[in-house]
Amino acid sequence: MPTVKNATALEKLSSPESLEALRKDIQARSRQTKITVTMCGGTGCCASRAQDVMDALRTEIKKNRLEYDVRVRITGCHGFCEQGPLMIIDPGNVFYCRLKPEHAADIVSRTLAGGEVIEDLLYTDPVTGRKARTESAIPFYRAQDRQLLSLNKLVDPLSIEDYIGAGGYAALAKALSGMSPAAVLEQVKKSGLRGRGGGGYPTAKKWAECAAAPGEEKFVICNADEGDPGAYMDRCLLEGNPHLVLEGMALGALAIGAQHGYIYVRNEYPLAVRHARAAVESARAAGLLGGNILGSEFSFDVDIARGGGAFVCGESTALIASLEGKVGEPRPKDVHTVVQGLWDKPTTLNNVETWANVPSIITNGGAWFASKGTKGSKGTKIFALTGRVKNTGLVEVPMGTSLRTIVFDIGGGAPEGREIKAVQTGGPSGGCLPLSMFDMPVDFDALREAGSMVGSGGIVVMDDKTCMVDVAKYFLTFLRDESCGKCSTCRLGIDRMLEIVTDITEGRGRLEQIDLLMDLAGTVAAASLCGLGKTAPNPVISTLKYFEDEYRAHILEQRCPAGVCRSLIEYSIDAHACTGCGTCARACPHGAISGGKKQPHVLDASLCQKCGICISSCKFGAILVA
Amino acid sequence: MKKIVTLTIDGAATRAPKGTTVLDAAIEYGICIPHLCHIPNMTDIGACRLCIVENIVDGRSRITTSCTLDVQEGMVIRTNTERIRHLRRNIAELLVAQAPNSRAVQDMAVRCGVKEVRYPFRNDDCILCGRCVRICSDMWQARAIGFIGRGAERRVGFPFGDRPAYCKECNSCVDTCPMTIAPCEGSMKPGEAHLCGGCESQLSMASGAQEAMCVMCRLGEGFKCSRYGWQ
Repeated sequence: MPTVKNATALEKLSSPESLEALRKDIQARSRQTKITVTMCGGTGCCASRAQDVMDALRTEIKKNRLEYDVRVRITGCHGFCEQGPLMIIDPGNVFYCRLKPEHAADIVSRTLAGGEVIEDLLYTDPVTGRKARTESAIPFYRAQDRQLLSLNKLVDPLSIEDYIGAGGYAALAKALSGMSPAAVLEQVKKSGLRGRGGGGYPTAKKWAECAAAPGEEKFVICNADEGDPGAYMDRCLLEGNPHLVLEGMALGALAIGAQHGYIYVRNEYPLAVRHARAAVESARAAGLLGGNILGSEFSFDVDIARGGGAFVCGESTALIASLEGKVGEPRPKDVHTVVQGLWDKPTTLNNVETWANVPSIITNGGAWFASKGTKGSKGTKIFALTGRVKNTGLVEVPMGTSLRTIVFDIGGGAPEGREIKAVQTGGPSGGCLPLSMFDMPVDFDALREAGSMVGSGGIVVMDDKTCMVDVAKYFLTFLRDESCGKCSTCRLGIDRMLEIVTDITEGRGRLEQIDLLMDLAGTVAAASLCGLGKTAPNPVISTLKYFEDEYRAHILEQRCPAGVCRSLIEYSIDAHACTGCGTCARACPHGAISGGKKQPHVLDASLCQKCGICISSCKFGAILVA
Repeated sequence: MKKIVTLTIDGAATRAPKGTTVLDAAIEYGICIPHLCHIPNMTDIGACRLCIVENIVDGRSRITTSCTLDVQEGMVIRTNTERIRHLRRNIAELLVAQAPNSRAVQDMAVRCGVKEVRYPFRNDDCILCGRCVRICSDMWQARAIGFIGRGAERRVGFPFGDRPAYCKECNSCVDTCPMTIAPCEGSMKPGEAHLCGGCESQLSMASGAQEAMCVMCRLGEGFKCSRYGWQ
């Protein structure tokens, strides 16, 4: 079987030349493989039963005696999670989606053995109705610029050889054979890379400050404590291509002069923890981590630390406290972590995506990276597109791409013919932007000016069935639960804002509360200890700024325009549209609907709990919400 | 010999040994910054946020708590600007709404300019300032109480709920607590949104403080500071 050897059997590489030789060897061997089936084994696809498909596929391959010709590669996330489980068959790059275990027999006998493309399994463009044979023919992929994500489908995350075969560790070899730490830093500076975790702090500036900080012992940390609702790009990178992150960290350590690194990954990402651990072990075995990497003077090692499930530990100082074994609470950042971080030693902490961008900057040069993006924000950024949009998934586009492109061209607009009203960017600390601002380029500065932020890159799309006051309430609830509670403004301020917003959604709102809300939001933003508190009022401020009419409708007219806030809505049945089929009456768990056969039904408002089950059961749109 | 740095607080050039906090340096010079969670010679955690100041760095003002900010050469600090007073009033309002029956917190709120509380009162009787936790850990090295839970669930308690043997019942935590004064009998009743500020709060820890000391610096001691004089 001409597939890769077990990673642990890899010999220790002693020089950049031996790495190159190994790469040539791996590439030559992979050319001998007749057919490669790449299956997405990311969390999204696994949730759609990708594991069952894989098992069925393997059984079928064995049954057809194809195991010597076919290599099945289980990779990380491909991004198009909406259509999962996904499969790509090479040669031909045939792209199958929405697979089920029962498709396995057909795929093996017709496509793998016969070379035939099964039309039914191809992606159908919902607009044109045309079938797409390959990824590049799908609008979702076509509009993207997948610098980081495209590597995912080439690499089995558990195989270091796959990564080396795809050009991995070439940047580290390049840096170790002749580049000084200052030269590495210079390339990163030239690239204009800014932190992808949310703040957008220039990476080179952070590294330079850390390199200049006094002290022999320094640390690098990879922040993989991703906790924003709806954001999963870090998870996807660490699960799908952990060596890319490791290589980036090694390059950073070289530039800064650090000897040790940590990957702080949340324990709720079991696959990411497993893959990162395996990657560290295999990189150590290959001599790409540890003492005297590739025969050079440079030594660097990485440990994996698991987070305990606190959102606030994504904040750098809280993360460091947690790493040290203390309670994960932030401390004031008057002295930066680049001077006094982990165990009071200079520490550079970057996000997974930031580290993952570094290898390609060193390989291709900083100028190449800087050629993409806008004036202030360079390169590409991965966004997690979720919410009321047809194509949910991971989207990688150059900085400066408009929201319209992301939501409508890539995302395909709202499902069921609804109207998109707003997007929420940047997770719970971000803000909501209305449709009128969709032509704005998405970059660090433009979003901040508009009252939102890039954050970690979550984009939640909202349609006309979303109540913006309810959105503010949702994020405030999240933040109240996730605030560490150390400082009074964040703990009490968020709680009080939530109290006011709850009053408004339940019909007890008063007009002067809008001013109080703004006043309080300003106080929490200005006086809180850490980034969580400082950005916590953003959902309130931005919804008040762009959707004040909805707040006013709740307060003055006791009306929820989107029909979401339960205290302010009433359900009723449209007697003209109702056919008397009785489906809703059977579906209602509270027995609030009654009526004779083929007679218009009646809804008893005193029994109705406004759960919405009747709406989803009615085929005729006869349930009215007012 | 400690290195001395020069900094400007509210326009006054002041000198302080390196390693002291801006709050301590200001108090030393008689510049009063309201504070609640700070206890002299103990670790500051910046919990109450009342001692916020503007730290002017490169022409940009950054708001931070002075109890956690160490003095640096050439620092420019403003403790009493319009913006700071406004924020401080809002913070005090949040605190007093949480514990309206504490005289110390009540008086502090009135000093910071709170006339009316815009939130419904909650009689939590704890504002999580952490004075008790720190006196237990820093002064007595006992660590018999600590913070439990996070966010709105955060509270002070014994490890695993039981009083440990290493709690010597020294009562320091009770002494230092701003809630341990007899509740106000006057105009301050739960549900009433007006503060009179007429009470003269007395903390047992602060009773030994010098006469001339400002109340903001010695929680509960007499209110003699001219800047924050009677409203």
